[in-house]
Amino acid sequence: MTTPFEALATPPGFVPRDGVAGAEGIMALCDALKASRAALAERDAAELADALGRIGERFLDPGDPLRREALALLPASSGLSAEMATEVLDGMAADWTGPRLGALLESELGDATVLDAFVRRQGDASVPGSRVMAVGPSLCVQIVAGSVPGVGVTALLRSLLVKGPTLLKPGRGDTVLPRLFARGLAEADRALAAALAVVYWRGGNPALESAALAFADVVTAYGSDGTVADLRSRAPVTARFVPYHHRVSVGVVGREALTDAAAPRTAADVARAVALFDQRGCVSPQLLYVEEGGECSCAGFAEALGVALSDLERTLPTGPLDGAAASALHQARGVAELTAGSEGSHARSRIIHGGAAPWTVLLETSPEGAPGRFPPVGRVARVRPVARLDALPALLAPLSPHLQTVGVAGLGARLDDFARALGQLGAVRVAPFSAVPFPPPWWHHDGGGPLRDLLRFVDLEA
Amino acid sequence: MIRPVSGASFQALAEKLERRFDSGPRADWPRAEFGELALQAFAIQFQHIPAYRAFCEGRGRTPDRVERWEDTPPVPSEAFKALQLYAGDEQRPEAVFLTSGTTQGPTERGRHFVPRLELYRRALLGPFKEHVLTARGRMRFISLVPSPAELPDSSLSFMVGAAAEALATETHWLVDGSGSLDLDALRGVTRRASHAREPVLILGTALALLNALERLEGEPLSPLPAGSRIMETGGFKGAGRDVTRVDLYRSLAEATGVPAQRIVSEYGMTELLSQLYEPVLSEGPGAVGTHVPPPWLKVRALDPLTLEELPSGEEGLLCFFDLANAGSVSHVLTEDVGSVAKGRVRLAGRAQGAEPRGCSLAMDELMAAAKSA
Repeated sequence: MTTPFEALATPPGFVPRDGVAGAEGIMALCDALKASRAALAERDAAELADALGRIGERFLDPGDPLRREALALLPASSGLSAEMATEVLDGMAADWTGPRLGALLESELGDATVLDAFVRRQGDASVPGSRVMAVGPSLCVQIVAGSVPGVGVTALLRSLLVKGPTLLKPGRGDTVLPRLFARGLAEADRALAAALAVVYWRGGNPALESAALAFADVVTAYGSDGTVADLRSRAPVTARFVPYHHRVSVGVVGREALTDAAAPRTAADVARAVALFDQRGCVSPQLLYVEEGGECSCAGFAEALGVALSDLERTLPTGPLDGAAASALHQARGVAELTAGSEGSHARSRIIHGGAAPWTVLLETSPEGAPGRFPPVGRVARVRPVARLDALPALLAPLSPHLQTVGVAGLGARLDDFARALGQLGAVRVAPFSAVPFPPPWWHHDGGGPLRDLLRFVDLEA
Repeated sequence: MIRPVSGASFQALAEKLERRFDSGPRADWPRAEFGELALQAFAIQFQHIPAYRAFCEGRGRTPDRVERWEDTPPVPSEAFKALQLYAGDEQRPEAVFLTSGTTQGPTERGRHFVPRLELYRRALLGPFKEHVLTARGRMRFISLVPSPAELPDSSLSFMVGAAAEALATETHWLVDGSGSLDLDALRGVTRRASHAREPVLILGTALALLNALERLEGEPLSPLPAGSRIMETGGFKGAGRDVTRVDLYRSLAEATGVPAQRIVSEYGMTELLSQLYEPVLSEGPGAVGTHVPPPWLKVRALDPLTLEELPSGEEGLLCFFDLANAGSVSHVLTEDVGSVAKGRVRLAGRAQGAEPRGCSLAMDELMAAAKSA
């Protein structure tokens, strides 16, 4: 029995055998992709960056049919509002241009020609004559979960940029952009398009996944800890495995950002970081620690955050909720409200929410312990007061294996020490809230090099 | 309209309600009468439950300002898990009923604190008699629900126990507290009833009935005599209920000889002390698919997003106002989905939690992971 998959985009010239949409179809596709590698190897990395960038740029051009089609399809497929889908596409595609891809090559490799031929090792005078070359995968299989549009295209750009034929299984809510990208590529550059296939199946399909994994020498896996662990256990031992498991991001607001003058701006930045992707991103802050003793109290900041989230519902509304999600939200809000009421007037635990608008601010009384239960529906900001910021690393220690981005504001001269402590703990990125949603293309994604993690370096010794 | 705002007593209201419940589920309840009793219950609950008082004050919905029961703030059913919602004056609860674990996992169970079991008893007897026993009067009960002695924290066991005590000629408790069925006893008692041509009532949850069918291994019971009936409960929560219902009822009919149209579905939950019934015996097969509440229980379908009341026949979240809940909270917003027309419910299923999303870990999951690490 074959297991069906949906071929969203296959290499030009690829002819699937009749009716084969199961594991055998995946194998045939992998064969075809691998065959494209020789032509890819002949091209310069810098030229590939330009060729790929020309497709990426189309998603930014208001007059381009590719962008228009993307914007027409994204809301329904991703569950985001039209406004948010536009915002996300603009933020994501900004890094898909030729110059940005060139900058990614330079940031990761210094000299991009290391992908084309042996070059002298940079700054290594002690081994005169020793040279190095970087080799991309013969097949990079990327299995992506989730519903943040753009993650799939960013992933396929990285592997194609290092000349790796790529099989992408995008997340359920992210099928539109990779498919359109592949189509654009097929129209412009058949040789390059021959190295890309986009196929979709519902996550957790061992037969299809194993068929693809068997051919890969580099595997990237995005998803829950369980999904990633499962894929890791089934990838060939000889394949490079790049895990992007579950992550959690937090925010820290220091006193300097809580002056009466600064607090509304801070709240607006924090609200935007929370709201982008309807908080589905691994970069989206879930917990916000607010330093006590500023001009604006923690409770005052929670209220300002509510105002800012309410404003965002007008400009970047939350995507539609289904009945089950709405029901869960009402239940949880009611319980939180009743629980706060049962604590009596001395407690400061509060819930502020948008009624029919699905944003919720939970003001907690202590920075310690597990937060109360609340379903991941709409945009949920948990605000916790913290007396001393130097207590935060200890408070965040339970999260350390999953800690990703730490949004910061108002730390002033304390920033470096604070970032060093969080880095020791496990955080991989400390950024101002305004930058939180869209890391630059060369960011060390979950701590690794976005291109270097895909590469094998070959030394040619003198 | 005069109603007690302070010093209102649950016991006094309960006595009044019990007398009224005795007039049965077909009694005429003028709108104003229900409304007045509902606002009295609300005032007592507001007074005795601090969390609910704060909840109502936060919305400006206090007894001195609310004119209609529909405007009293409904409590989400999940709150029974988190809080002690108890409006029973000063005395200790007579019972604490626990909700069953849900399919969402071994989360904590909800607790319904009941100050006065007599109010529950009087609320359950009339509708049970009307919709399950109908004109038949007393009959033999075969219960696949564990007895109240076996499961003292089950509101369903209490209900079947109270009904049995008042209305059964004899009761056979065939499932113990661990859920284990005495199959030999089931075959024996049905065989004797069959020989004696004595109609019987079998009661059970959908799950218990399914388990019993499996245990029969295709060998039917002695066909039960005409007039026999089955009360099934808890079978309509979850997807694909139509298939489940049709299949279950057909299998039950084959195994017992009780025709499918004589199987009465009861719809109730631990959080509510009143029950709804599919009135197939009291009204006939035309009533299939609807559940009728007693006149002291009002139900509305609310828009899942806005919580506004929906027009007749439109599906939404079911929200109940139950006077039998006078000792806890009466206005309860559930996660059950259905439509309401002419005061009757057509169940559609259950709004089953929220799906996890994106690549960021849900906080709950994360904290659980951190704790177990």
